[in-house]
Amino acid sequence: MTSSDPPAPSRPRSATIIMQPEPPPPPAAARAATATTVKLPDNKPAPAPAAPNLPATPEPGGATVKLVIDGESLEVRKGTNVLEAAKLLGKDICHFCYHPGLSIAASCRQCLVEIEKNPKLQPSCQQIVAEGMVVHTESPAVLESRRALLEFTLKNHPIDCPICDKAGECTLQRHYMNHDHQLTRVDVPKIRKPKHKDIGREIVLDAERCILCSRCIRFCEEIPGTGELGMTFRGDHEILDVAPGHPLDNAYSMNVVDICPVGALTAKDFRFAIRAWELRSTPSTCTGCATGCAIEIHHKHEEAFRLVPRHDPDVNGHWMCDEGRHTYKTTDPAKRVRYARVDGEEVSLGHAIATAARRLRARGKKVAAVFSGTATYEANAALADLAGLLGAERFVVGRAAGKTDALLRDADKNPNIRGAITAAGNARHEGELALELAGRAYDAVLFVDGTFELSEVVRKTVESITSVVLADRVTPLVEACTIVLPTTSWAETLGTMINRQGRLRVLQPAWRAEADRREPADLIREVALAMGERDLGSSRDRTRAIAELHDHAELRRLTADPVAARPTLLRFSHSRG
Amino acid sequence: MTIGVKKVSLQRSMRDQIFLPAILEGLLTSARHFFKNTMTKGMGDVDTIRYGEPDVDPKTYYPARYRGVHRLMHREDGSVRCVACMCCSTVCPAKCIHIVAEDRRDDAEKAPASFVIDELKCVVCGLCVEACPCDAIRMDSAQHMTPTEERAEAVLGKIELMSRGSRSVAVQGGHGADYRATEPAADPRFPTAR
Repeated sequence: MTSSDPPAPSRPRSATIIMQPEPPPPPAAARAATATTVKLPDNKPAPAPAAPNLPATPEPGGATVKLVIDGESLEVRKGTNVLEAAKLLGKDICHFCYHPGLSIAASCRQCLVEIEKNPKLQPSCQQIVAEGMVVHTESPAVLESRRALLEFTLKNHPIDCPICDKAGECTLQRHYMNHDHQLTRVDVPKIRKPKHKDIGREIVLDAERCILCSRCIRFCEEIPGTGELGMTFRGDHEILDVAPGHPLDNAYSMNVVDICPVGALTAKDFRFAIRAWELRSTPSTCTGCATGCAIEIHHKHEEAFRLVPRHDPDVNGHWMCDEGRHTYKTTDPAKRVRYARVDGEEVSLGHAIATAARRLRARGKKVAAVFSGTATYEANAALADLAGLLGAERFVVGRAAGKTDALLRDADKNPNIRGAITAAGNARHEGELALELAGRAYDAVLFVDGTFELSEVVRKTVESITSVVLADRVTPLVEACTIVLPTTSWAETLGTMINRQGRLRVLQPAWRAEADRREPADLIREVALAMGERDLGSSRDRTRAIAELHDHAELRRLTADPVAARPTLLRFSHSRG
Repeated sequence: MTIGVKKVSLQRSMRDQIFLPAILEGLLTSARHFFKNTMTKGMGDVDTIRYGEPDVDPKTYYPARYRGVHRLMHREDGSVRCVACMCCSTVCPAKCIHIVAEDRRDDAEKAPASFVIDELKCVVCGLCVEACPCDAIRMDSAQHMTPTEERAEAVLGKIELMSRGSRSVAVQGGHGADYRATEPAADPRFPTAR
């Protein structure tokens, strides 16, 4: 499933930036054998992705520095910079080139502040705090320099906001509105540069919009360590570009779209799809692999348009991979399972549940319960309860292994394989399931989601026996099964997963599921009730129990107050750029 | 705290309750206006606009800023000026504008693949015209929305909106949208081609 040692990528100059992941997890079969020993979660120390810039919040027991910013004295961690220190006071010093996850260039000069006893203004991103420092971030000299530098930055900017994908979440727009807000005094033609250049698998470059902050260049050098991007020419004619024949095609290339403070680098996938201000944002977790990066789902109504990373220092830092960004396509409304089906006919949900309960419950039936590494912990735990009632044989299935690297991508493409194995208890491997299904060892099989590769022989078996699947979208397995119960997708579920570090990851519903779609654990509860068994508890009850068990304040808030799960409007949310 | 209730007697007289005198008064008023406006010389005090008759031109009759049916303006090459920035659909209080963007694959980059206005939902406020940064949408057609037999006929698409439009060479932001055309040719040392 995984190679024992993923090839180490070429290291950037500052090696501390690369986060060190754990050794890759053992293959699923081996893990399944030791499933009973897996604790939930074991909270082993996570590989902390060291950001080059220290946050200003003092560590307990760490060295601190006292300084005064705009008349307010505060105590911050030693070694942090003035910009981070000002953030503690809620002062957002405007900046372009500084990014907390990247090295410091101090090239945009937008964050200049006045420091007493210092004859010139200093870039606050580069200025490390010192004992007794007195900083003024809103003095007349600072405001004047901000305004003048913005005017200078805008000198060659094409101001084509109507056709720019970044409009509405653009740092330059925000700073112009807050700090400049004057008409242009430029009466000479602007410098023309390549307007839309295809520079890689995912990215389009508009060199005119670029303000030369070099964030993307530092990203490519420091995080994936590939260094495709660079500056060419000088002065007004300076442009961002790739070397001929070396496109920007690393596995993390779409992060440059997020960190670009203007619309110079835009994603082909999102190009002209929707305007940023129409989107709403819901925090959630990426389901692309076992890493479980913290993400925001950007969506309108019941359709997701993109996924962007959310800062989580313990798991993914500021970044996520391109592969994970494309997983929003699994919520495609055109491929959803909306209504229940029995023997190929669309039926009411109640009828389908009753039929499933009757056929699974028939006396003397041998039942297989199939747990999945792509379903939530709640769904797997509910299935475990039902399997206990039915005396079913247990199997754990998942997606096939994929590409990996030393940064974020995990070879195990199942976001919750640890949770599935923990919930299933003494479960067996999917290979055995395929063999036994091909040998017609079972009269009925119950899949917790649609993730299972079917061979031709197994497909014929599944079509001929009682096969129940809880599915959110149409897959070959769903087409083969005799009873289909419609479930919510990962973007509509409040649930938990356990990532490769053993950390609890939270999925939040971005929108309300339409039609007959229900949370999988609720459907399993309904099936058990239709069998005349005890109440297994709702999905929300299970999530609440997990929140209490792990004392997870955020999750407790989500289960107690559904308002907390409502999306927030994206407009200038400071989450990007 | 208790709520005070005030009882009001309706105090209808017998004359009010039988209604007939009021009806007769109304008929009398109608009849007075009828005879005044048809029998008298100069047709009384009525100022009827014969809208739709050949001798009345609504373009000259309506004030210059009258907001009529929407239209979409053209560029010099006849393509639509709209760049699908969604400002009009965002500002629209009735949410009656629906745009799907596409890539034009030229220097203008972005254009609407479809541009649909539901004129039945439109509240004729003119905010879309105010919001448009490209002089693409206008309401100066001086036309009412004509009544339709089917609701779907009042939902106008891009072709229909452009058929009312005309060429616009408006420039914006000082040098205008086509400032590129007026400037000297690019320095050949720097790559400008895609």
